[in-house]
Amino acid sequence: MAAKVKQLPSRGGTPAEKVYLIEIFKGMGITLRHFLRNLWDNSNLYVRHYPEVQPNIPAHWRGRHRLLTHSDGTPKCVACFMCQTNCPANCIMIKAGERTDGITEKMPVSFTIDLAECIYCGYCVEACPEDAIRMDTGIYAFTSSNREEMKIEMDEMLSLKGGYTEEEYQKGLEDE
Amino acid sequence: MTEMIKLFVNGEEVEVESGKNLIDALEKVGIEIPHFCYHPALGADGNCRMCLVGIEEGRPPVVPACKTPAKEGMKVLLDADHIKKIQHDVMELEFINHPTDCPICDQAGECKLQDYYMKYEGTESRMRVPQVKKRKVQDFGGGVIHDQERCVACGRCVRFLRQITKTGELGLVNRGDDCRVEFFPGRPINNRYGLNVVDLCPVGALTSADFRFKQRAWFLKRAESICHGCSKGCNIMVDHNKEKYEDDIIYRIRPRHNEQVNGWFMCDAGRMTYKSENDNRLEECTLAGTVRPLTDILADAQSRIEKASKALFLVSPSASLEQLVAVQALAEKTGAAVSAFSDGYIVKDDGDDFLIKDDKAANRTGVDLLSIAKSRTHFDNMAKEADVFINFDNDLSRSLSEEQIGKLFKDTWVLNAATHPGHLGTAMAGKAGASVALRSWSEYHGVVVNCDGIAQKFVGGVMKNIERPDIVEIAAGLGSPATGAAAAWALVQKKIPALAEFGSFLELPAEGVNLTDNEAGK
Ligand code: SF4
Ligand code: SF4
Ligand code: SF4
Ligand code: SF4
Ligand code: FES
Repeated sequence: MAAKVKQLPSRGGTPAEKVYLIEIFKGMGITLRHFLRNLWDNSNLYVRHYPEVQPNIPAHWRGRHRLLTHSDGTPKCVACFMCQTNCPANCIMIKAGERTDGITEKMPVSFTIDLAECIYCGYCVEACPEDAIRMDTGIYAFTSSNREEMKIEMDEMLSLKGGYTEEEYQKGLEDE
Repeated sequence: MTEMIKLFVNGEEVEVESGKNLIDALEKVGIEIPHFCYHPALGADGNCRMCLVGIEEGRPPVVPACKTPAKEGMKVLLDADHIKKIQHDVMELEFINHPTDCPICDQAGECKLQDYYMKYEGTESRMRVPQVKKRKVQDFGGGVIHDQERCVACGRCVRFLRQITKTGELGLVNRGDDCRVEFFPGRPINNRYGLNVVDLCPVGALTSADFRFKQRAWFLKRAESICHGCSKGCNIMVDHNKEKYEDDIIYRIRPRHNEQVNGWFMCDAGRMTYKSENDNRLEECTLAGTVRPLTDILADAQSRIEKASKALFLVSPSASLEQLVAVQALAEKTGAAVSAFSDGYIVKDDGDDFLIKDDKAANRTGVDLLSIAKSRTHFDNMAKEADVFINFDNDLSRSLSEEQIGKLFKDTWVLNAATHPGHLGTAMAGKAGASVALRSWSEYHGVVVNCDGIAQKFVGGVMKNIERPDIVEIAAGLGSPATGAAAAWALVQKKIPALAEFGSFLELPAEGVNLTDNEAGK
């Protein structure tokens, strides 16, 4: 459900408005009116009823990261460090190691993104030569009361699924 | 002085040294001729054809620059269309079967194919047939890993092992797109300089098993240093990096060119000395078995030196000149004896006629220039007399057994300042009155003099998370007149006049100062 928006004209020029007290009492009256009305029935509020009502996230929205896998479930990432090199927030931390599944030679042994430091610029996605990292999970809310929990690890990112179909995602890239 | 000659490049006159081929002569004046197979230490082979340049009014009109000596009045063409087309086409040929594995290739970032592609090719592949597949991740022995698909068949590795080490482990077999580098079955690379082929290989066909996947080349910070593995003092590049939330550690050591000392190469053992810089380091300063701040330890030691009937300072033959004079000056002031006893640093018959030396100390010549005693008798006599003994990072366990050390310092108060544990043997570890964790050579600057009398500067770029003091600081803290690095350097210049003309140690020329020459000339 899209939020309702109402544009109000800018005011405050007339002499009556410049005597602030009158306007203050008018304002208090409006507040009181809204308060009483919403107490009775809140369906006309001009804000989104979050979190009961969730927003619509378009496919090109940069949400939480995920690491993609080949069809057999093995990671696409080859630990080339392009994302880490290009990350302006310096919040990607990769350790590389030998890959023995025969797909290629190299893969990450650990892959950490500190989401508390990430600025959601999407450079990591653009830099990746293997299409191994995307921000298409559609997850935009991610909070914690603890800094350490804001670091997400490889297993978690590998287990996340994309929030859109491939066509939606590709079209989203074009729209962007 | 080398004779200079004038020639023309793209119509512009340049002055270059004579007696060189076009690649080297023009490189000195900042003009690059792309090349794969030529290397100054291995000579011209002429197999890659990447270096073809045009010669105006010459016969033949197109020549390989690696095999063409620079001559007076020569008119070299580098930017003509037909030369650019040759470069483009040679590159395209190299890429026909190239896997372009850059994301997983350790050479990426320092690869000639990558650089030349950006500069001389830059077009999409026209290959429409499947590429020839070859072997990948092949163990070549000696810590070298080979990728046949990435090889450009320049033959540098083959020539190095034939011409320099004369071991000839590798050869190029077959031709055309089946051409590849191989070793004889059962006879992989097996010599003490084998890892140099990794630096020589212009692409990622030969990589180091030790460095494999540890870092991408562009993350590494570089410090120009001198290998402390033996008295040859090979010029090296220390490649280190401090990853986020981690310590600054060294990832690899590579040789740095110095014609006077090591040429382009270094030994494999020297490359691996970075491991001991990273690992098993002392971290704490202790006094009577408890961790204490350095100032407390120095204050305690200073009062003990003052009260002692005789103090003995033992320095390391690998210490820098600055460190040696700082301790020497302290000894002169306090009436203590200094020794650089280090017989155990000499490993008999380990050296060869190329780079590796028997003497594993980096600055024994410096010890001699400063006339610091190093004989066993002098050390034994002084040790018997002394009631305070301070070890400045000499690994005495190399020269004496644990019992011998224990006996010598039975009733002596010992301060052991060291980079690594075990310098006085494990038995003494608990007995030492005090211990200080020191900075190691990759962490401080200084000058050392190699076995041939060449004084060379080195820069310590590594910045550890744990702040450790340098020997100069300790000596200063104990009251040495050399109160800091600059004062120590001034003292060095006073004692070694040949170094007096250089303002700071950083002004020493890159190729080092040959002290034997200078003294003969004076
Ligand atoms: S979105 Fe930007 S800041 Fe966040 S990890 Fe990717 S590159 Fe770094
Ligand atoms: S050799 Fe060079 S071009 Fe080839 S994969 Fe390695 S880095 Fe890339
Ligand atoms: S392995 Fe490297 S040095 Fe040896 S021939 Fe191939 S490209 Fe040249
Ligand atoms: S020859 Fe000696 S100085 Fe040179 S790299 Fe080897 S150990 Fe170091
Ligand atoms: S460098 Fe001249 S042919 Fe290879």
